[in-house]
Amino acid sequence: MAMPPMFELRDVCFEYDGIPALHGLSVQIAEGESVALLGANGSGKSTLLRILDALYFPSRGQVSFNGQPLTGEALRQEKFAFSFRRRVALVFQNPDVQLFNPTVFDEVAFGPLQMQWSKQEVLSRVGATMELMGIAHLRDRPPYRLSGGEKKRVALASVIVLDPDVLLLDEPTSTLDPRSQSQVIDLIQGWKGSSKTVITATHQLEIVDDIASRVLVLEEGRVGATGTSAEILANYELLLRANLVHAHRHSHGTITHTHPHLHSHSKHEHKGSSD
Amino acid sequence: MHIPDGYLSPSTCAVLYAAAIAGWYSALKRLKRVLLSRVVPLISVFAAFSFVVMMFNLPLPGGTTGHALGVTISAIVVGPSGAVLAISIALAIQALFFGDGGISTLGANCFNMAIIASLVAYASYRLIATGAAIGSKRRVAAAAIAGYLAVNAAALMAAIEFGIQPALFHDARGMPLYAPYPLSIAVPAMMIGHLTFAGVAEAAISAGLVAYLQAADPALLCNTAGALPATEEASAITPAATNSLRRLWIAVALLMVLTPLGILAAGKAWGEWSPSELAMRQSAGQAASAASNSVAPSAVPAGMQRLAKLWTAPFPAYAPTFVKSARFGYFLSAMFAVGILLLVSLMAQNLVQRRREVRHS
Amino acid sequence: MARGGFLASTMIGFTRALARAMVSEQIARQAGLLQSLDPRVRVIGLFTMVLAAVLSRKIAVVGALFFVAVTIAILSKVGVGMLVKRVWLVVLGFTGVIALPAIFLTPGDPVAAFAGGPLRITVQGVETATLLIARVETAVTFTSLLVLCTPWTHVLKALRAFRLPQEAVMMLAMTHRYIFLLVETAGQMFESRQSRTVGLVKGAAGRRIAARSAGVLLSKSIELSNEVYLAMQSRGFRGEIRILSDFHMRSWDYLGLAAFLAAGSLSAWIGR
Repeated sequence: MAMPPMFELRDVCFEYDGIPALHGLSVQIAEGESVALLGANGSGKSTLLRILDALYFPSRGQVSFNGQPLTGEALRQEKFAFSFRRRVALVFQNPDVQLFNPTVFDEVAFGPLQMQWSKQEVLSRVGATMELMGIAHLRDRPPYRLSGGEKKRVALASVIVLDPDVLLLDEPTSTLDPRSQSQVIDLIQGWKGSSKTVITATHQLEIVDDIASRVLVLEEGRVGATGTSAEILANYELLLRANLVHAHRHSHGTITHTHPHLHSHSKHEHKGSSD
Repeated sequence: MHIPDGYLSPSTCAVLYAAAIAGWYSALKRLKRVLLSRVVPLISVFAAFSFVVMMFNLPLPGGTTGHALGVTISAIVVGPSGAVLAISIALAIQALFFGDGGISTLGANCFNMAIIASLVAYASYRLIATGAAIGSKRRVAAAAIAGYLAVNAAALMAAIEFGIQPALFHDARGMPLYAPYPLSIAVPAMMIGHLTFAGVAEAAISAGLVAYLQAADPALLCNTAGALPATEEASAITPAATNSLRRLWIAVALLMVLTPLGILAAGKAWGEWSPSELAMRQSAGQAASAASNSVAPSAVPAGMQRLAKLWTAPFPAYAPTFVKSARFGYFLSAMFAVGILLLVSLMAQNLVQRRREVRHS
Repeated sequence: MARGGFLASTMIGFTRALARAMVSEQIARQAGLLQSLDPRVRVIGLFTMVLAAVLSRKIAVVGALFFVAVTIAILSKVGVGMLVKRVWLVVLGFTGVIALPAIFLTPGDPVAAFAGGPLRITVQGVETATLLIARVETAVTFTSLLVLCTPWTHVLKALRAFRLPQEAVMMLAMTHRYIFLLVETAGQMFESRQSRTVGLVKGAAGRRIAARSAGVLLSKSIELSNEVYLAMQSRGFRGEIRILSDFHMRSWDYLGLAAFLAAGSLSAWIGR
């Protein structure tokens, strides 16, 4: 018997106050896949992640997790809700949103406490996770006294502690300095090979290859294209259409160069032509 | 206008706690009909907002502090029940963390600033804004007026609660045990600061925020929009909700009408002032009432004057003089009149509603 | 910086410091007298003392209660300096203003008369003012001790144990967090505007900017709060406050409870 996909979305529609964000989106994600969700700001990436995390429910269409439908009704059932919340974790783009406890320790312990683990288990798992993420020394620190990189690590720790099967990451490297960025990327790469399913929303093309084997490009609220990272990254027209790159002109004297420009400005390919 | 611990007698606190608990209970029940878990974070935001607004307060002599409440914008966005809870939460946190407002007086403070103020704000806003488009200037003006009335209503309630303390609770030597100023001082002292400063501040905040939301996020204003012009969508308020709101209003109106009678009844039992003090007060009081009586006819409507005499006339000679003063009588008449007006308008609304239902069935 | 700018920035700075103080739970983590008691005992006990202060009609009794409050504070690692700054002076500020005129306005036996003036200080006036101020200072000290020595989640859990509805407790928890967020957001907005404007904007333009800033702040706060709520749900929050250790009454807690109740009733009785 074939295993149901981890996530299956069929014709999902979603609106914010009447403004459509997702338009008949259909996609399947298998267990263990590492997927990158590409799309310009406003393309619906965050919305999709929240639908996958059963924080929003579609106005039309179906979402299922491991064959089970994700509806408001289903999430009201305590047993299913607890199981789902433990297995699927979402890391928000803005870490401040996710740091609502008085200290770092309390923050990491929040999830386990909701799961009603024993005091023993909470203490040992929280301790181990903080060591893993290198934040043990920040134990009693209040969140407003953390740097950007530290906040991100605490946010990650607070979801990893539950040992989820699915990780949904919303722009995990934005707002981070280069060193913290590479730390986060290392972490995601570690999951890439494992049985965990990782879905990362990003608009930074240069990290896609590192973090994902499959790419979904979102355009105007639905999946514009899907393929391996190599395929997608080579498809310049697609990237331009999806507003992930822009054509950049600069002049050297009397010669004008037009070349594709990735938003991050760290990779630069000159396919110059003069006009 | 936070009332600190020790300014209201334990019995006053108990009565007002009972009233507050009734208000909280009813607000929670009404909100449970809506999806509470969606509304809870929104109420918490307005609680936080109100908390910060109330932090900017000034001490006013004789009447605690004067400040805006943020109750009006809360009532406009989340409705009166939400506003009751939001302001109450802000008050509770202020009392716990900063001692701004007492624990024993939390019931009183919530009654004044969360319950009465929310109701007055919501009712006035609806009364004035109903029928206007979401983006119209009338709504902005309605918010301003509603804010002004709400803050002053709350201040008036607080002033009354303060003002009745010395007469009702003092020791054998005449020392007031709780708030020391009688109504004749408490009411003007509180009201001056709020009629001029705090009321205006609340009006400005409410109007400013409504204007901003009209441009930035008009959906937030739709909850309590009431009737909209035919071109806009129907309001979200169901008849059932308006009915229970009306019942609450009727209760408030009755309370306002009956309270002066309650004070009158208690008045018959007063009379424990020391003789020297009594003489001093009587002469001072008589001089005052003589002066005001001679000035009054030109300034006070004849009907009010007659009503005032009605309150002050039947008092036994040993009652404290402020109760006999014409000013107190005017004040009571005003409360009575407002109460009557409220009841009349509620009955009118009831008739309109019923006629509308008949038309739609 | 222009005068108005300085005033505004100190006010914002002050508010931010207050918000951070609300969120920080330093003292609650110390090992002191109150910290050693079950949070429910702390809530009942300290509220009993507040009630006793309010019920007392004698200054001597209120004074004794105040002394008890200070003793408990010291034994619970709460510095007197902090009490002075954060509690007593603040209360004196606003209660003093209310109570002071009572010295002159309360009718009674005169203490001193100012030559030629209608102002008379009466014995009753002085007594009233003293009683009022003493009561408020005492009550507020006890209340402050509760929140200084107890993590907010524990206070809420204790209130929940006393049958406060779950929604109310949830709203208290979230509001506490949002106050901090709101003030920080306001602070950041203010800082960014300071760095972009030159000089002071006065009059109608200034008021318009202020109104718009308040609106933006409200919108941002609403948006932020929605996100925080989603983040909480994502990690399994379903409305119940969960903390690390459940409350268990030991004999020490019963002793503490008995002590509080005895002291409270005794004071109320003597001071009636």
